[in-house]
Amino acid sequence: MSRQYLAWGSADHAHPVDIFSLAVTSKQILSASGASSLKVHSTVDPDFPLVQSIDGAHELGCHHVVTDAEGTRAVSAGFAGEIKVWACHDGHWQEDPVSAHLPRLNVWAVALSADGQYLAGVSHSGRIGVWDLGAEGTQIRDHETKGSFGYCIDLSSDGRFIASGHENGAVYIFTTEEGRMPFSLAGLVKPVRTVAFSPLGSILAAAGNSKVIVLYDTKSGEQIGNLSGHSGWVTSLSWSSTGEYLLSGSVDGKVKVWSMETKMCVATHSETEKAVWSAKWLPKSNRSECFATAGANRSVAFYREASGG
Amino acid sequence: MDLYTPSPQNLVEEYIHNTFEGLNQQLALPASQAQPSVTLRSRVCPGTYIVNHQNGSLEASRSTELTRTYSWPGKTAFEAWRFTVIIRVLAIIEQAIKDRKTVTKRSVILYLGSEEWADEREPGRDIYYIDPAYFKSQVIINNIIEDLAYTIGVNRAALNVEAAGKGLVAGPVVLKREGQVILDARSSQDSLIPRIYEEDEIDIFVARWVLIVEKEAVFHRLVRNNYHTTALAGEGIIVTGKGYPDIFTRAFLRRLLEHAARVRGRTPPFYALVDGDPDGLAIMSIFKYGSAAHAHDNYMYTIPTLQCLGLRVSETVPRVMNYANKASSPLSMRDRQKVISMLRNNPAWASNGPETESRVELQRMLMLNIKAEIEMLYDQNGGLEGWIDRKMFRQE
Repeated sequence: MSRQYLAWGSADHAHPVDIFSLAVTSKQILSASGASSLKVHSTVDPDFPLVQSIDGAHELGCHHVVTDAEGTRAVSAGFAGEIKVWACHDGHWQEDPVSAHLPRLNVWAVALSADGQYLAGVSHSGRIGVWDLGAEGTQIRDHETKGSFGYCIDLSSDGRFIASGHENGAVYIFTTEEGRMPFSLAGLVKPVRTVAFSPLGSILAAAGNSKVIVLYDTKSGEQIGNLSGHSGWVTSLSWSSTGEYLLSGSVDGKVKVWSMETKMCVATHSETEKAVWSAKWLPKSNRSECFATAGANRSVAFYREASGG
Repeated sequence: MDLYTPSPQNLVEEYIHNTFEGLNQQLALPASQAQPSVTLRSRVCPGTYIVNHQNGSLEASRSTELTRTYSWPGKTAFEAWRFTVIIRVLAIIEQAIKDRKTVTKRSVILYLGSEEWADEREPGRDIYYIDPAYFKSQVIINNIIEDLAYTIGVNRAALNVEAAGKGLVAGPVVLKREGQVILDARSSQDSLIPRIYEEDEIDIFVARWVLIVEKEAVFHRLVRNNYHTTALAGEGIIVTGKGYPDIFTRAFLRRLLEHAARVRGRTPPFYALVDGDPDGLAIMSIFKYGSAAHAHDNYMYTIPTLQCLGLRVSETVPRVMNYANKASSPLSMRDRQKVISMLRNNPAWASNGPETESRVELQRMLMLNIKAEIEMLYDQNGGLEGWIDRKMFRQE
């Protein structure tokens, strides 16, 4: 059963260079690129107007930006190795003073807990750390793994699990409470570039250079599914708010929507052959399901589900 | 009116004489008061660099002079060692001028006599930037020679110390000096690029393009396959600087460019083929904009029209190649740090600089965490040659 998603508009040339990361709130989308500013576009208005440009955020460009569930806090990671925390008041973002306490965390990928209090990050050497942004950025967890570059990290929405994906193909799940690995996962053979917990935290999806998306049961650690169809490295994964659909983006320019019920690809979109670096569902509102994609074409493209389907 | 204009060589002799004289005076003093030292003007400013919009060359943004004083015995063993090296280099130059002969930088290194410096291994295989110990002593001595020339205010040639050339050229190029052919790259598979003089005559015949390749091994492959005569784009000239280029190679390419502009009214396209790694992009930038070490005279050596054919990691690796391919590998920590310092320090790659696409390529390299060597194109459709054919057409 295929589903139809219609091109819904775009923020053209949102950045002068590649867009590496997207983060969403209920009303806005934040984008990070190789340029020094972060851009904020409204997703309420179908013209997707630029509502704020956070200039000079990251001098050498920014590769990751994440938000909490409420959209009150964001964290961005720059190529120079710096981490910045942003607070949102009435739709306007400004740097959070807690930034000053996070000078050099030495992390590559970052994730933020649903309440925005905890920041998780994974480093070049595969170390996983957790910092309490409510306590001046004190580090509260430090897990060592096998020393392989950490490309990606995610926190489950209930805050109980952290997952990371690495250069050597390893995928790890840690419990935040005890700070240990409940089981070891059979990883992928090739680098893992993205990991994402389902909304209820029961499934972890992981993908990367092997082009196949692997689904793990987070209770047992068993693989419960493989989604194959991408012909390029998978760079990005995002779950719809209900957990029914998984969105994936690839360096070959394609984005795919997968049904969790049938484990089949139900839609494929590509407007360009240029790499997609990030694909994200927008939070559920009273409109139909929507997602956004961005990458080497330097624009943010929006899609919405065809109604009446 | 000043009737006496000293020749560069006079200036050098005078400088050496005064320096030794000053040292002698110091040495005549009681040991507690003696402070033998040499002060050099340093070419490399620790400040920032800009790309000059008029001539497209990398230059220092401030004209502040930096001098460095090396004294004996100095504060550290390293300073004492540098002082010794400077004095010995000066002695070698003095002798060379007296004997009216030119010494090579390599023989300076041999003369200085350390086992470590006198590395007799075959320098052909990219050793210039692979072997760190060798490279380090080369760099230090080269810097001392350049700083001496800069301090005295003469061209390096006046010091009678020259680096042995290392660049290679093949294709339709003939170089004549005083009527004599000193280089004919049509007849040989790899002609060494010599120092080029103002009065030299150059002819590039029908050359339709100039291709600069980073690696010597790739150069030899292309020449062996006669790419310079069989390319789809017609006959052309292939050049390698064997990694980071020497100044002769850069001067030679610049002369090709100026010659074509003068004789034909327009220049053939200049292309670069480098590895998809930080060194590859740094080498491309040196040919196009110049190096930090030559911030004071880059405008004489740059190729502002240089186009980069690749290898772009982002367009080649994720789609075409198997990750297990030997010619691609993850970035090392040193690679990643090098990319970050390139993004930070080279104005060509600044966010408002002239090389936006190279800046993006460096960032994609960090994202993908991968680098790739030109050799990975050998098993492309039509081989490396077919790949270059297609690329050259797309660029035009």
